This record gives sequence, structure tokens and C-alpha cells, in this order.
Amino acid sequence: MGLTITEKILGRAADMDVVKAGDEILAKPDFVIAYDFPGYTDVIFRQMEEEFGISKVAEPERFALFIDHMVPAVTPKEEDLHRNTREWGKKNNVPVYERRGIGHHVASELGYATPGAFAVHFDGHVSQMGTFGTLAIGVRRHLLEAFVKERIKIRVPKTTRVNLHGKLPKGVMARDAFHHIVRTLGPAACRFQVLEIGGDALQGISIDGRQTINCLAMFTGAVTAIMNPDETTLKYATERARIDLEPVYSDENAVYSAVHDIDISSLEPVVVVPPRPSNTQNLSEYTDKEVHVGYLGSCASGRIEDLEIAAEVLRGQTIKAGFQLHVVPTSQAIMQEASEKGILTDLIAAGAFVTSSSCDYCFGRAGVMTAGQRAVSTGTLNVRGRMGSPDSEIYIMNAAAVAASAIHGKITDPRDYL
Amino acid sequence: MALENLKGRAAFIFEEIDFDIDQIVGVKNIKIQDVDELAAVAMRRYDPNFHESVRPGDLLIGNQNFGYGHPHYPPMIAMRHLGIAGVIAESFSPGYWRGEIAMGFPQISCPGILRAVDRWDHLEVDWESGQVKNLDKNTLLEFEPLADADREMLDAGGLIGYLHNR
Repeated sequence: MGLTITEKILGRAADMDVVKAGDEILAKPDFVIAYDFPGYTDVIFRQMEEEFGISKVAEPERFALFIDHMVPAVTPKEEDLHRNTREWGKKNNVPVYERRGIGHHVASELGYATPGAFAVHFDGHVSQMGTFGTLAIGVRRHLLEAFVKERIKIRVPKTTRVNLHGKLPKGVMARDAFHHIVRTLGPAACRFQVLEIGGDALQGISIDGRQTINCLAMFTGAVTAIMNPDETTLKYATERARIDLEPVYSDENAVYSAVHDIDISSLEPVVVVPPRPSNTQNLSEYTDKEVHVGYLGSCASGRIEDLEIAAEVLRGQTIKAGFQLHVVPTSQAIMQEASEKGILTDLIAAGAFVTSSSCDYCFGRAGVMTAGQRAVSTGTLNVRGRMGSPDSEIYIMNAAAVAASAIHGKITDPRDYL
Repeated sequence: MALENLKGRAAFIFEEIDFDIDQIVGVKNIKIQDVDELAAVAMRRYDPNFHESVRPGDLLIGNQNFGYGHPHYPPMIAMRHLGIAGVIAESFSPGYWRGEIAMGFPQISCPGILRAVDRWDHLEVDWESGQVKNLDKNTLLEFEPLADADREMLDAGGLIGYLHNR
């Protein structure tokens, strides 16, 4: 029987000829990625030295640190954390990428998403790198293992394959396709597995859109998502690749625990109704619900495609008085491109509040809501209290729908504006 | 085998599928760092008398995909502080699972557990036989074997001990 792309990547990382789902192996991550966050990096740095007597990581070129949360710092304590990270990076010869955008997205821009590579992070949204055929797994505090040992012990995950078919209709985005996958499969369908996405529809979905889909894999229960590289992603990733690796692909006769075929041709814009990331409903059932805040950004959405469609919706329009629309491009490179294309001008003219890239709007550190307020958001998550008061609500939707809703201060179907 | 069998009562049964554990302390309390304070607010919305009834060694019971969402560490820090020795659920969400196993906190994936247990039943988790025993009902249920790394991590009391042993 054939192998999945995941089995091939982990086989190489474990220096073994063949590994199969269920095998427990010692795999060497090609890249160890983290952003600085209290309780994670600061603890890892301390435990490395105090518990294991390791003053410097071996092979620093495998490591990359990002400063993307708490940017800019608003307390001396936050700046202490960042300073500590910079100093640790300097001492260890590990690059610290600061204020360049949301870390794992920037990691893809910088070539850490090398096709065929195995990467670990503590944050599960690193699955975004699967867009380029990189197996990137969020391991929470187990990340310490990658700092103190060359190899981490991991059970090769099974794979659920989802084939997307058809073409997204106007006003329906990759974001909708992902939440439709959750609606179709359920929030537990891929527990402890890899979600491998393919199908003819991918040809019509941009790299931006594919990053959106992969980034959110955890809400199907998956440990990560991955797509087999194609011409589009190889072109992007190969010229950036940090290590020399042959891309690998799932075999035709690879063994999957399940295969699902999902047609996206007749999909409508959806809304993920709080407080559950699995509660996907058609947006048309929620139009006219009053909303007060809009967030267009995050590692899930906030790329050129998202900003572009929002600008198309808002061009010549004015955001409702009192409505707060925060636009936060996923990276500084994206912001620059959006600026050069005039996208930011359109957004600002309509009344959007555009800021440099940061994770802070997504997790309730900036642009927070008070009790009774409601947001339309392209952020990652809609659980209670994620963007401020536990008595505020977050309705997740695509970027066009966030923009359209900002015009009226009500959940609005974007298709009338495109 | 360093791990001792768990023996305790089913101190609470979370029947909700995809249970978001942050609800145990409430999202507004998720940033509390003082463990006494955290424990004081835990479980209030589920059972105001929980603190008086729970005993060291007691266990929690969960439904399918327990820990779904965006789980944080404080809720289970609070539960351990109140004496909870482990969680038995129909199935777990992987992010939650990884986080708690790294803390050395036993998680037992046991399909069928919800129907096999009433609140306050006396239970035993037998690591050797791979079974959850309901001592009151005199019934047995097999649980899913742990991965080697997970077992070694529980044996070592968590991630740090495990990495020292490796």
C-alpha cells in the first residue's frame, strides 16, 4: 500500500525507510518555531538552563522566534518579555523576527515552509504552513522537547482526506469552504489525525485562501492540515526554501482513515455563530443582526485576497457611524503590498482603522469589546471572552462579509456589494 | 510501572459534547494566577457545593471530544488543586490532551464511560489491565491504550521528568 505525504515526511525526519500511521517514532524537526508568550518561551528558556543545564540550543539554524503578540507592548512587563527573547536569540544565534507580522505566516514568507519539511510550534495554527506541503504541528508545551532534545517522540498520525470540488461562487471565500468542511464532517472528525486537503477546487483557490483553510485545521480536531504541493505553491515556496529537500506527495494508493468529497459550487457565505467554533450556519439566516465591531485580520484571514475584496465592498461606501472596523494585515509585507495597490487607501477612505500587523486584535488584547457588544470577525475563534468581555459575542465570517456588515452595523450578505 | 491505579469517585459528569473546559472556571476568571483563588471560582456554575463534596483522588467524567475549543491550563490546575486525579472521557480533543498529559495529569479515553457511570460511583482505573472498573456497579470497560510517550510522561509525572528519563 502507498503512503501519505505525512508518513513520507515523518519517515525522513525519523531517518527510517518507511513509517506508517500509528508508529511511534523519534523525529527530528527541520524547524522549531515559536512566538514569545508568557508561560511558553520564557518558561522554555528557563527550563532549558535550569532543568537540563543547556545554555545554548544545538543547530540554531533550525530555530526561529517571532515577536508578534503584545506588539506594541503596553506595559513594561510585556517589553521585558520581548527583551528577554531578543537577548536569548542573540545568545543562541537564533533569529528573532520582530514586528514583521504574525509569526507562522511570516515563517512561510521566509521559507520555513519548505515543501517536505517537518516543523513544530507550540501554537496549532502553524498548520497554515501545510499549504506548501510542510508538515507543521502545534505541540503546546511539548515544544520544550524540541529545545532540549534533537528528536521528539511522536506517533505518526492517521490522515483524513478531504477532496474539494467545484468553484467558489462570487462572494464566497476559502474561509467559507473551511467552515463548511467543519459543518460537513463535524468538530471531531479528524481527532488526532492530519487533515489532508486536495481536489480539483484547489486550482481555483489562491495561496492566501489555502493558508486560511489549513490554518484552521484544529477545529476539525486535526493535529494539522496539509496539501500536496502543486505548481502554484512550489513556485512560491521553492525560491524561498531554507533547506534543500525534495517535495513529497501522497501516493495514489495511500491509506486514509476516511475520504470525503465536498462540492463547494453552491456554497453560500457562512457565519460561525458564537460561542462555538464548530457552529457553522448560512449567513443569510443571520442578516440584520446588529453588530458594533469588525475585525479584518488574523493568521486565518488578513491576506491580500481578504483586504482586496474588503476594499471592493467598501469602495465609495462609508462605514456606519460608531462602528469600529479594525483592519490588521497578516504581515507587514502584505500591508506594504496592499498599500502599493491602493487597497489601504480605499479602506481608510471608507472609515476603517488600519494598523500594522499584530496578533493582538484576535485574542482580546487590543480593540476589545465590552459587555453586550457584538463583532463580525475574520479572527480564528469565537469562544466567549476571546475579544474582551465574556458577555460580548463574535460572529466569524469571510472578509467581504465583515466589510459589508461594517457599512450597516448589521450582519450583511456581501454578494450585493460585489 | 510507576503509575499507580487511580481510585476515586465520579465527582462530576460533563455531559456536553465538545466541552470547552474554560467554562469550569469561567472565561472571566481564566487569567487568575493564584491557585486558591482559581479553585474558589471553579465549578460554581455546575455545582455550588462541589468544593464540599469532592475528595482527593476523585475523577471527572467527560463526553466526546472533551476539551474542544481553545483550552487553557488554569481550569485543570484548579481541579487538581481540589483533588481531582484524572479525567475519563468518551474521547478527547488533541490540543487539550497534549497539554494535560504534559502536566502529568492522567487522561483516559474510554468509549462507553458516560453510560457506565453515575455521579459519585466509585471507580478504579487499572493501568495494567487497561480497564476502568465501576466498583459500585461491578462493571468493566476497556480504555484505549496510551501511546508509549504519553505513558512515559504520566509515569514521570509530566514533561520535565519524561525528558530527564529520555
